[in-house]
Amino acid sequence: MLGAAPTIAAPPLPSRGQRAAYRRPGTAASVPDSVWDALEPLLPEVTKPAQYAGVEHNQVRSEWGAADTRWLLCYPDTYEVGQPNQGLQILYEILNERPTALAERAYAPWIDLEERMREGRIPTFSLEHHRPLWAFDVFAVSLPHELGHTNLLNLLDLGGVPIRSADRTTEDPIVLVGGHAAFNPEPLAPFVDAVVAGDGEEVTLEIDAVVRRWKLAVVDGSADPDDRHQLLLRLAAVEGVYVPAFYEARYADDGRLLRTVAVEPGVPAIVPKRTVQDLEQWQYPRKQIVPLTETVHERFSVEIFRGCTRGCRFCQAGMITRPVRERLPETVQKMVEEGVKDTGFEEVGLLSLSSADHSGIGQIVRDLADEYEGTTTSLSLPSTRVDAFNVTLSNELARNGRRSGLTFAPEAGSERMRAVINKMVSEEDMLRTAEIAFSQGWRHCKLYFMVGLPTEQDEDVLAIADLAIKVWEVARKHGRANKVTISVGGFVPKPHTPFQWAPQDSPQEIRRKLALIRQAISKVNNLKLRTNDPEEGVIEGLLSRGDRRVAAAVERAWRLGAKFDGWHEIDTLPMWTRAMEETGVDLAWYTARERDENEALPWDHLDSGLDKAWLWQDWEAASSDDVVEDCRWTACYDCGVCPGLSLVHDTGYDGGTNLPDGRVALPVLPTGLGGAPDLPTQAERYVGG
Amino acid sequence: MQRYRIRWTKVGRVRFVSARDLSSVWERALRRADLPIAYSEGFSPHAKVSFPDALPVGVSSTGEYAELTFAAPIVPARDLGALSATLPEGMDITTYLEVEGGAPKLARMLRATLWELEWPAVDADELTDVLSTRGRQLLDAEHAEVIRHRPDGDRVVDVRPALLTLAAATRSGPSGAAPTGPGGARTVLRAVLRNDGPTVRPTDLLTALATDVASGTVREPDVAPPVITTRIAQGETVDGGLREALSGEIAPLVLDVDAEAA
Repeated sequence: MLGAAPTIAAPPLPSRGQRAAYRRPGTAASVPDSVWDALEPLLPEVTKPAQYAGVEHNQVRSEWGAADTRWLLCYPDTYEVGQPNQGLQILYEILNERPTALAERAYAPWIDLEERMREGRIPTFSLEHHRPLWAFDVFAVSLPHELGHTNLLNLLDLGGVPIRSADRTTEDPIVLVGGHAAFNPEPLAPFVDAVVAGDGEEVTLEIDAVVRRWKLAVVDGSADPDDRHQLLLRLAAVEGVYVPAFYEARYADDGRLLRTVAVEPGVPAIVPKRTVQDLEQWQYPRKQIVPLTETVHERFSVEIFRGCTRGCRFCQAGMITRPVRERLPETVQKMVEEGVKDTGFEEVGLLSLSSADHSGIGQIVRDLADEYEGTTTSLSLPSTRVDAFNVTLSNELARNGRRSGLTFAPEAGSERMRAVINKMVSEEDMLRTAEIAFSQGWRHCKLYFMVGLPTEQDEDVLAIADLAIKVWEVARKHGRANKVTISVGGFVPKPHTPFQWAPQDSPQEIRRKLALIRQAISKVNNLKLRTNDPEEGVIEGLLSRGDRRVAAAVERAWRLGAKFDGWHEIDTLPMWTRAMEETGVDLAWYTARERDENEALPWDHLDSGLDKAWLWQDWEAASSDDVVEDCRWTACYDCGVCPGLSLVHDTGYDGGTNLPDGRVALPVLPTGLGGAPDLPTQAERYVGG
Repeated sequence: MQRYRIRWTKVGRVRFVSARDLSSVWERALRRADLPIAYSEGFSPHAKVSFPDALPVGVSSTGEYAELTFAAPIVPARDLGALSATLPEGMDITTYLEVEGGAPKLARMLRATLWELEWPAVDADELTDVLSTRGRQLLDAEHAEVIRHRPDGDRVVDVRPALLTLAAATRSGPSGAAPTGPGGARTVLRAVLRNDGPTVRPTDLLTALATDVASGTVREPDVAPPVITTRIAQGETVDGGLREALSGEIAPLVLDVDAEAA
């Protein structure tokens, strides 16, 4: 054939012994070739090629030789899902602001491109310069949930990096993970070098300093260039850095974990999470990346507070991000105004776990609504609180647009079940809120629920349908076209929550319960039920509470082809089932078994700040339907998080929220309860748009 | 209300951005440049930026156009310059023209497109000969039906009515729109296609040229797809090329280096 393009070969992967040159600090480093020329001819053949192009507004492109330390930040899912991630955005900015560091970004290539990359030997690459993973010093991966674990192995393998920590040398990057799923990293223990639990801002800069010092010491001859163990030891000395290789899990004869112990002298027996005490000192994002192609959240986002005091017993995010630290309303306002100007985004998101709970939310929303009234800038407040105040806030935010849909999260159907999960919303609250919403012109209401919660009976499940129908009756009263959608997910117990001891329902049982709801609402028009595949909870459940022995199944499942476990393109469950059989991992033992008080848990040596005895007490309280109040407004019940932090115990019940530096923010009267709006159930998490 | 017509480029990595995603790219750039773009009415207002047609993903262009409507007067050289600067790399505004009352619609000013197809630096002399010969045969023919394969089924397209002129040449200087692959002599085909009438894309033209037209039978194509396709400019066809719609400059059909007309 005339004019056929010769295949452009990817720059070859240097053999072992040749890679250290690329890792030298500063201009002494060899610059790894870009893979772009090899990648570009493949792009016309794959879906959504713009996701691989880079060139977004606000990306930072530093010369390789201009930095001593080079980070590749990664979200182990597609660009579309991972690009909006707030945590990586913040770390990207603070690393790139440091004159001696550079940070680029990588995401998981979609299946069609990965196939062609493997054929063409193109490694996992960064978007800024299309540089290969293997050349970076630190591969820092955010694990927001468990279903990215196989993608992590895949990205390493594709990137020319051995998947097991023990097989890596100083010629390979340090593989560092953080994010919510890093609060139980044990199923990934053999694959990662270091783990950080908690807030990343400070510890990332500390790790960067350690890596830089080590690299400079190698140059001046005071550190052995081949001694990776020494580098890991230095990392383990940073507060909050957990190096799994320095710990060993010991098991009883019956297979239960006895204890995870430190086996390396000098490393801490228990590794604490990191907590940034004053968000005011970390006013990021400032230069948020603006994607050129569709992503799940296209908006300028400001985190208005971190942490949650609601105490919902199922909610891992609410437990592990304590205590609450609020941003000042005027800082929020300033960040929004500057961010909107800088990015050109049409939408602003005020993020947190329950945004209506900010003690100054009324002022924040009113000021921003005033600022942008009559403009094309819209505001969104991901809040699912079930109360009139939430509707009022939504009305303010909808000044510029139409009142289309509102979301509430009662989470459970019966009063008893809501007491068990500590979600203090009454049916009366829900119906009154619906009445207010629909009477004020809202036309669609979405309700989040879960099934498979501890102590749940069929009557609790049917109560979801009852409540939904009652809300639908309110909706209908205000307009025949009004709609109600209920979204019901299967509950997966998570580490560091009072439900960490609870048995998880099997997918068959979840399916049966969903069928009960479906049947109960089948005759009602304009009341829709949305569910996701109950099988999805199987892998999530295994990885959430798995121990180090589960790692063998993770690797085996990946070798059998599992990746993108949160998507439906590949049916990975059969691969996992086979992997568990071959590696002797008993799914039911990990997921369906109720654990007892004395059993060691695989994450006991990682301290989320919550006292285990308190969690157990709360688990027992759940079983007897006892509730605990929101400690933002009521007396402390001593969950264990605050002591040791130089925080004024952050409660608002005595008239104002105390902030550092003697600042006091005015509280609003709390009513009803919220959920975890920006960490939606699985069904929401993977859906685009 | 002030209206401007602009010509802009989409070259390099940004050519992989789809037409669907472009409207928000423009809207955000306009907001960053803080220009008083007008918005449509209704529940979800959109910036008044209209594009005459969509460029296929992956195709490069120095001949994109848009019409921008402003709610307040702008200083075009300064403000459109600022807009160009804040657009992503590879997207630049190269010409602008204020729209006078009674001006013809933009689409009517863009009756034809000059396309350029460029092959990698292999088989250049032979390929240029083959394309020149087949190009002449195609221009001499009355019809040239090709099959366009689409996910929703095959369609027969007659390429000939849309084809105004074409020329193949060998270029030895630096590559045109996107420097790709090794240097050396490369075959370049330029063609002017009509924009009015049924849509005929460069891929359809290539299908016609990739088989021997004279033989008239269905054969396997013997010419590979070009490595890069570029929409050079749009406007009116004239002898020797295309008169660009906004500037009136002539974009030549025949390249002046190492040119060999069909």
